[in-house]
Amino acid sequence: MSTTHEHSLALEQGENSKFEVLEIAVRELAISRGLFSAEDHRRFTEWSEQVGPAGGSRLVAKAWVDPEFKARLLANGIEACKEVGIDWAQPTGHGAPSDYTWFYVLENTPQVHHVIVCTLCSCYPRPVLGMSPSWYRTVNYRRRIVRWPREVLSEFGLYLPPEVEIRVHDSNAKSRFMVMPMRPKGTEGWSEEQLAAIVTRDTMIGVALPSADWTATQPPSQGAS
Amino acid sequence: MRKFQIGDRVTVKEGTSLFYTRVQTYTRGKTGVIADYRPAWVIPEDEAWGRDDGRKEPFYVVRFNQRDLWPEYKDQNDTLETEIYERWLEPAKEEAK
Amino acid sequence: MRSPAVEFEEEQPMISALVPAVHQALSSPPTISNRFFHVLMHIPHDVGGQPDIPRVYQDIPEVDWEMRTYIDCECLGWRGIWNSEERRRGENDLGETIYFGFPYYGRWITTAARTLISKGYITPDELNAKIDEVSKRLGVKE
Repeated sequence: MSTTHEHSLALEQGENSKFEVLEIAVRELAISRGLFSAEDHRRFTEWSEQVGPAGGSRLVAKAWVDPEFKARLLANGIEACKEVGIDWAQPTGHGAPSDYTWFYVLENTPQVHHVIVCTLCSCYPRPVLGMSPSWYRTVNYRRRIVRWPREVLSEFGLYLPPEVEIRVHDSNAKSRFMVMPMRPKGTEGWSEEQLAAIVTRDTMIGVALPSADWTATQPPSQGAS
Repeated sequence: MRKFQIGDRVTVKEGTSLFYTRVQTYTRGKTGVIADYRPAWVIPEDEAWGRDDGRKEPFYVVRFNQRDLWPEYKDQNDTLETEIYERWLEPAKEEAK
Repeated sequence: MRSPAVEFEEEQPMISALVPAVHQALSSPPTISNRFFHVLMHIPHDVGGQPDIPRVYQDIPEVDWEMRTYIDCECLGWRGIWNSEERRRGENDLGETIYFGFPYYGRWITTAARTLISKGYITPDELNAKIDEVSKRLGVKE
């Protein structure tokens, strides 16, 4: 059997068992050295399982029905999050290390459509949206959305007229962003709960627009519990 | 005392950044406008090497016209915003028109 | 009369050698151009604006080891062993081949392991022995 054939087998099968082993090794060594505790791991896991796009949906729905809340949300994202039960200081008391410093909500208007990326690593507002979709973390998305946003958005089925300013936010520093899409037609008189159901994760990244016809399906899996 | 104010046109400096950077290559030498302030924070040159109490510096949101970033970009209205810290910015060079 | 098997054995190496070579093996040349220096020293994560083709974007949920990796790295940050920027820089320090060759969370866990060694919390042989022990426990072949 030639070496080339063996290499391609390994690539195709996607074994990943080396990483499983490495993760267990790192975790057991870290805990045995007292670098963090099993209880720390459990608490952080719990937090990671309860954050998800439903948090962001609640923020948007509330902003749609309550103009004063919307103003507070746009002025101070982290404080306004507390009003819907999202505390950016969790689970450590000083935030999640990869997420916490500043949070800004970007309001879509008829003139401006926002879309977010982190070209350098995949920074994402986990406290309000949960874990990022795997495509958001690909080198491909990180390369292309900043330079060919209209092409990439068209691949998501989103076409915007040239008069609309598409504003790409490359979150390369300490800010985390979420898009507040515009409230779609056909939702007059809806409750906050009904409105939240149509604010999907992709509308808050900026690669989709909400529609009165589409509801948020089950939030993406957080991984095995 | 911030060196730049909202509305100032600024150019991202070109310059060596061995081993690590968070100032994207695609912004170097490009001119945009200060769109907003961000609070001061430890610069990546320190934070990435474990100096949590390293040098703090103001950050800025810089907004670029996409046509100024990419040679082939067609749509006139599109923009890109990213956050650059003060040492990497200078007043916009006068562009020959 | 020559057998097909003999013909095959004689011709296959020649036919394989006709495959165009698109990569040039690097072997520590005595000199390189400034441009090549610049290209090789490019920080791997700085990918914005690089050309790429449209690909199908998938939404693949994290599997167990990936979520645990994420939690491990955040717990190390929580308890002050490192900050997230050190992790991001450490992922780049793995070099382009691993940066682009490993799964996203593969970078995270490899960087975490390496950092624990470089900061003196564990020794390389402790890590290696642990890996061997866990591999045996899980029945993972080398």
